[in-house]
Amino acid sequence: MTTNGHRKNATVWIQRFNPDFDRRPYLQPYSITARQGMTLLDALHEIKTHQDGSVTFRRSCRHAICGSCGMNVNGRNVLVCESPLKDHLDGKGRVTIRPLPFLPIIKDLVVDRAKFWEHYRQIKPWLLPPDDLPEREFRVSPEEVKALCNAEKCIMCGLCYSACQVVALNKGYIGPHALLKAFLRTLDPRDSAPGERLDIVADLTGVWRCHTIFNCIDACPKSLDPTYAIETLRNLAARRLAFEEERRERQARFGEPVEVGPPVRMEPTARVESPVQTGQRIT
Amino acid sequence: MFKTTGFISFALRRFTGVVLVLYLMLHIWVIGAATQGAEAFNRRMEVFASPATHVLEIFLLAAVAYHAFDGIRLLLVNAFRVTGPRKSMWYAAFAVAALLTVIGGLPLLLYALGISY
Amino acid sequence: MGFFRMQRLTAVALVAFMALHMVVVHYPPGHLDFTRVLERLANPLWKAIDIAFLGTALLHGLGGLYDALIDMEQIAMARRAVAGGLATIGLAAFGYGVYTVISFSPAALAALR
Repeated sequence: MTTNGHRKNATVWIQRFNPDFDRRPYLQPYSITARQGMTLLDALHEIKTHQDGSVTFRRSCRHAICGSCGMNVNGRNVLVCESPLKDHLDGKGRVTIRPLPFLPIIKDLVVDRAKFWEHYRQIKPWLLPPDDLPEREFRVSPEEVKALCNAEKCIMCGLCYSACQVVALNKGYIGPHALLKAFLRTLDPRDSAPGERLDIVADLTGVWRCHTIFNCIDACPKSLDPTYAIETLRNLAARRLAFEEERRERQARFGEPVEVGPPVRMEPTARVESPVQTGQRIT
Repeated sequence: MFKTTGFISFALRRFTGVVLVLYLMLHIWVIGAATQGAEAFNRRMEVFASPATHVLEIFLLAAVAYHAFDGIRLLLVNAFRVTGPRKSMWYAAFAVAALLTVIGGLPLLLYALGISY
Repeated sequence: MGFFRMQRLTAVALVAFMALHMVVVHYPPGHLDFTRVLERLANPLWKAIDIAFLGTALLHGLGGLYDALIDMEQIAMARRAVAGGLATIGLAAFGYGVYTVISFSPAALAALR
């Protein structure tokens, strides 16, 4: 240990798998110098640049907004670009990086996300505006925005999908990411087809497959709450016709001024019960 | 992803559920001896009155208690859409189930060991 | 959705039934034999409660088993068959159980004596 408390050397175990040569995945250790402020992504770049150019992984923005760099580090799904190296080293300075679980491996740390995207498209992830558009803008109140629970902040990183035990059992399950987005569209007052959306998700591969395991909330780097979204969709599915009627009435009032009450505090999203030491959560 | 309380709660809930439904089938069969009269019933109950059975009954009690309180936790999550205190709720459910198992299991254990109270 | 609601309702009912069952049947100390059970089941109200308890438990238990089975994609494709099979088992078990409860009659005890 150095005087400023940082280990000098770190051992990064990376799961390798080349489908052309390997029969099964295996872990390979790499030794690097842990510099101040290094993230796991920096460590991976260090290894790829100076030690082993064949190490393969996805990354892009390096500041937790593109959703490309999701990996399984020491058993937890994280974005490696926002994960400080020192926070993930054990007492002996080791960290293990594996690809996201339960998804087919293309190579090393890169997984096949085709099913993830297919399920996302299934829920019609776009706004379906009403036929008569208001003369000017859609007027939506701060309370109505708050009810969306920041679901639009989802960066489609796949950490929740890959952490879900139901996804592990059943690739037909739509997944927490799609259900969160379905929630976002269903609750949006500007959307004119909530009933149709509820029909898509209130189905045996949709909301009824969720077993409230909560791994999705624990994994989300944006502290979003797919379980809350799924429970809301379940409750709405039970009163679908009434909800559709409420939406029609609401949409008839788009031209009217919105009553602005006292300022609505946009609270942080799902409360994190035992925050993992991954540095600042970006919300 | 196997070290989360969420995974443990799901796995235990499913395991206890399967155990309980299989036990229910057994129970229906055992009590079914009554269709053959009082004597047949009493004889079958004697078979299941051994100390070993009493110990197994403690595990059964544990399964019922865990499944029930984890289920109540889920009813609350569904009805009130609470997700914030999810870990605390599970620890509470587990603790209550464990407590009831100890309280309820103690007489069974004493009975199994032949200690009267 | 109907299935989910049924699981929830039967769950709530079972918490009550189970608590009652534990207190009434298992915690008065002592040996369980025909006479002791008959003391309770001779009363038609208890017969009705036990039959309702059995039905609720079978619904929740076999329903839960169905839910667990169709979590797996391969089984989900054959879900109607699975549901049919479980329903058959449930009806048979329920029928046998009701017949058992009715067997706890004073006439049966008299036949023994």
